[in-house]
Amino acid sequence: MRKTYLARFILVGLIGTLGLTGCHHTRNTGATAPGNGETPVPGLNGVGTTEVGGRPTGLTDLQHGQFAPVLFDYDSARIRPSEESKLEAVAAYLKANPGKLVIEGHCDERGTAEYNRALGERRALAARDELVKLGIDASRISTISYGSERPADPGHDEAAWAKNRRCEFVAVPQ
Amino acid sequence: MQEQFRNQFGGGVKRLALVTFISVILGCFAPGVTAQVDVVKGRRSFGVSGFGGDAALAGQVTDVLKNDLRLSGYFALAPVISAEFVESGTVRGDHSGIVVECVVMQQATKKVVLSKAYQGSAQDLRRAVHKLSDDIVQALAGQRGIAQTKVAFVWARNGAKELAVMDYDGYNVRQLTYDRSISVRPRWSPDGRKIVYTSYKNLFPDVLEVDLYTGQRKRLASFPGLNTGAVYSPDGQTIALTLSKDGNPELYTMDAQGGDLRRLTHTRAGESSPTWSPDGQTIAYVSDESGVPQVWAINKDGGVATRLTVSPSYNTEPDWSHPPANSDMKPMLAVTSRVGGKFQIGVCQLGTSIAQPVVADSADNEDPSWAPDGRHLIFTKTQRWRSQLYLLDVVTGEQVQLPAIEGGVSEAAWGP
Repeated sequence: MRKTYLARFILVGLIGTLGLTGCHHTRNTGATAPGNGETPVPGLNGVGTTEVGGRPTGLTDLQHGQFAPVLFDYDSARIRPSEESKLEAVAAYLKANPGKLVIEGHCDERGTAEYNRALGERRALAARDELVKLGIDASRISTISYGSERPADPGHDEAAWAKNRRCEFVAVPQ
Repeated sequence: MQEQFRNQFGGGVKRLALVTFISVILGCFAPGVTAQVDVVKGRRSFGVSGFGGDAALAGQVTDVLKNDLRLSGYFALAPVISAEFVESGTVRGDHSGIVVECVVMQQATKKVVLSKAYQGSAQDLRRAVHKLSDDIVQALAGQRGIAQTKVAFVWARNGAKELAVMDYDGYNVRQLTYDRSISVRPRWSPDGRKIVYTSYKNLFPDVLEVDLYTGQRKRLASFPGLNTGAVYSPDGQTIALTLSKDGNPELYTMDAQGGDLRRLTHTRAGESSPTWSPDGQTIAYVSDESGVPQVWAINKDGGVATRLTVSPSYNTEPDWSHPPANSDMKPMLAVTSRVGGKFQIGVCQLGTSIAQPVVADSADNEDPSWAPDGRHLIFTKTQRWRSQLYLLDVVTGEQVQLPAIEGGVSEAAWGP
């Protein structure tokens, strides 16, 4: 009896959603309609299919300030064209120097905590994917999402929030 | 699974589908009123006459009992002379232990509906009374009470976030971690012995598990990238979680020891925040596959994902209630919705796709977690950037602020 109830519920949800949106339901094949302003790349299963690099060893804290943070729009993990030059600077450094990179992903204080951890990670991975396109080996790059736990600016206004939606880049020796 | 669908459906499906389609369309145009779950039973009047014996202990016992009865939602405290049910009792004790005796009588019939004694250590006075309160709820309302339950939460202290546990009424706060780091997203094992959570104490976000009895900690997931959102299945054998190790935050399961890792989702969007259905077969979670974060569902073994919510346009942090089998409450999803820039608690009844607001005001209300009775939930209310924990009775719509805790509190998880 429970299985019938559950199955019916799932079917109802499916029908209801189809009826409302008229869209095809997205299957888990990786092909998705564009969201967040991303353009699907033909032939590619989608962004974010490259494994995250292994963690640097012996790391206890991260020093910031060597690279300018990349900033993001609200609710978005899209790399704005205006931020590309910052990524180019990081890529140039990594091409000239050995070692690894840690990318931190951050959100502003609005939004729920766990969703922000995922959004922060998507920002870090979006920056990572751009560095890979610029020729950096993905295995050199690891990510840490802090969600909204580590704001750059503790203020509670748009100016502070804009600074907090960011990725930070930290070069580490190994 | 497709085979089972076909076999179990008859001709009623078409009508059901049509009704649902119309309901969803109408639901989207309905005004955003604060909804109450249908009241199943009204409150019954209860008179607390107090306790004889040790006067100091009696005062404490009476306070705890009255608070429990009030929070249960089943009773309205009334003068003894006019109440439907009346309590009387005694409490005696010394350093070696306390005994609470209680009799509850239905005044009109003079029938004794409860007559019990509770023993405990002197420090356990509150626990003895909580047991009495739950027994009263069971005897008079036929429902499972919440007075003996506990809540885990995130406590912002000294620039760090630590885990803590307290009684459901806000008393007996006990700090669990002292890592001076970030410890967040606690979830209980079904037996109440362990809590799984996300920890940054090794710099990177890992899933750790702490045993509440031994204090022992185990690392369950420390893959490259994000490890978070761990939640036990109802039978305690499987953990669903969010990992980004394959290049994107996706939904995975593993066994309770951290082995047998399986990937469930493969999308360009981010997945997060899993929660289990009562029968342990389905996982609801958040995905922005449709362009905005909504609640989706997938079978625990993977397969086709189905969207559960369409409205409001931002729904995150689902929690799936697991009311007892004999309960008046049905399983449903609580979510955090964002409407007009403010966060609300919404409830999505199964079979609908609209999250109806149950807490919507000028504050930000987030992160609902159901009590095991499927009737109460705890959530975080943030006003002027300060956060406190509140209880909500979804049947009456009543919110109760828990005793204030210094520092910030968030991400409460109601224990079994």
